[in-house]
Amino acid sequence: MDRTARRTTAEHRQAAVGYTLLLPSLIGVGCFLLLPIAVVLWLSLHSWNLLGPIRFTGWDNWRSVLTDRQFGHSILVTLALTALVVPAQTALGFVVAALLARRGPGGTVLRVVYALPWMCAPVAVGVVWQWIFAPTGGALNAVLGRRVEWLSSPALALPAVATVIIWMNVGYVALFFVAGIRAIPAEILDAGALDGAVGWRRVRWLILPLLRPTMFFVLVTGVLSVFQTFDAVYALTKGGPGHSTDVVAMRMYSEAFDAAHPGRAAVMAVVVFAVMFVITVAQHRYFRNRTSYEY
Amino acid sequence: MNTDKRAAARAVVAYTVLILGALLTIAPLVLSAMTAIKTPKQFAGESALATPDPATVDNFRTVLDQGLGRAVAVTALMTVCITCGQLVISIMAAYAFARTRFPGRDVLFWVYLGTMMVPSAVTLVPMYLMFAKLGWLNTFWALVLPFLFGSPYAIFLLRQYFLAIPGEIIDAARVDGATTLDILISVVVPMSRPILATLTVITVVSQWNSFMWPLVAASGAKWQVLTVATANLQTQYNAQWTLIMAATTLAIAPLVLLFVVFQRQVLRSIAVTGLK
Repeated sequence: MDRTARRTTAEHRQAAVGYTLLLPSLIGVGCFLLLPIAVVLWLSLHSWNLLGPIRFTGWDNWRSVLTDRQFGHSILVTLALTALVVPAQTALGFVVAALLARRGPGGTVLRVVYALPWMCAPVAVGVVWQWIFAPTGGALNAVLGRRVEWLSSPALALPAVATVIIWMNVGYVALFFVAGIRAIPAEILDAGALDGAVGWRRVRWLILPLLRPTMFFVLVTGVLSVFQTFDAVYALTKGGPGHSTDVVAMRMYSEAFDAAHPGRAAVMAVVVFAVMFVITVAQHRYFRNRTSYEY
Repeated sequence: MNTDKRAAARAVVAYTVLILGALLTIAPLVLSAMTAIKTPKQFAGESALATPDPATVDNFRTVLDQGLGRAVAVTALMTVCITCGQLVISIMAAYAFARTRFPGRDVLFWVYLGTMMVPSAVTLVPMYLMFAKLGWLNTFWALVLPFLFGSPYAIFLLRQYFLAIPGEIIDAARVDGATTLDILISVVVPMSRPILATLTVITVVSQWNSFMWPLVAASGAKWQVLTVATANLQTQYNAQWTLIMAATTLAIAPLVLLFVVFQRQVLRSIAVTGLK
């Protein structure tokens, strides 16, 4: 037996081991990710009401969803929510991180407290905030001594939902900034201090520029997560009042399960994916170009 | 001297802001727990901010008797099953990608990576239809099966870690006659304990809190998880806030306890999750 033959047997054996180890996950990814992705594309070209016959309708779902004012409205609501949530949580998260990054007593306790909302189920948190916002018996009106309809007035509902999401995310965002700030070499900050960069100037001219990768990451993942927001909205308003908090994930859910139009919901799912894909690619390209700083 | 004073002043300002922020962060949770131990009579009569007097556990008893006890058990069982399945199967797959060679390996790895970009809302409707077709809606399988077989994210995370294990260690074990399974169990897993702990935390948190899929796949009373039960509280108890807050406290408290015990691990896992 020559050496090549032996090597091939070893290679075959290794390949067999590899396939065996991979098989269970391949079943999972195949059945619960790849197959559903294929089905969603197929479904987007068919009309169905979850019960009757399935009919091929070509691009009809696409045309009707993309010209649907309701869906357009949901996109605008999602963008408005993003505009309310992402800048606020990033700015607040940065302030908290800038203060938390200095090592001092109680740091761990504070970090735990700030990260706490991230651990809690958004649905449960949503129900708690529903009580806080309740017109009668709620905590917020008890503090203010007034009777404001926070969640049932179309003008206030979206800012109220945004408040809850910001509250959930600030500590989480802060932890990334803390990690980023601590990764800045002390020599740079010391050298900056000699040149007069202290206090606010140190933040503005040293820390912020050096944190650009973290900043970008926090902004992009923030946008991605707002685009998928469902749990908190479901618990707080279910998209109401009068569609004023009807974010795209909520719209897709009601289209599929309340209106029984899975084909139209499939189109919405593909649109959401496309938006997220573009954001992810942009993030990737940005990171490839400027991940490393020359310290 | 002057700079010392200025530094001290700055520290005072920093701590004041931080502590105020921390109080705002924790207030909603404390308030809801406080309401959970109030009698309905006190809640109706006094401000929402009043301290409980007398404190009672009746609210917890009531909601646990009315089906929430079952939801707690179902959620716990689901979380344990999924976490175990995901860890075992992700370890196997990650090892295959990191340490074995087979035709198609790199293509498959890119396919796995690609699926990480797909939001869970995209697969929601097809998955619902699949489970409806099989008649598996409102079963325990509907909750567990889709997440049992590992996740591309976990596989990716572990693969990066396994690649960093020195090849000599694995070769030495192989020379000693160890099989791939031996190597996985007695070399790779012990060396990967930190990342496995982190992954466990991430999985437990996301499964305990998962909502969208359980809502469509198992909304019937029998296999309702805590999050779905919590979302239904409003209609069930119609503004009986002491009961509703007892239920949300039950949904939140286990993870808060887990967090406090494993805070080091959890804080690290947040940093790791972010590196997606």
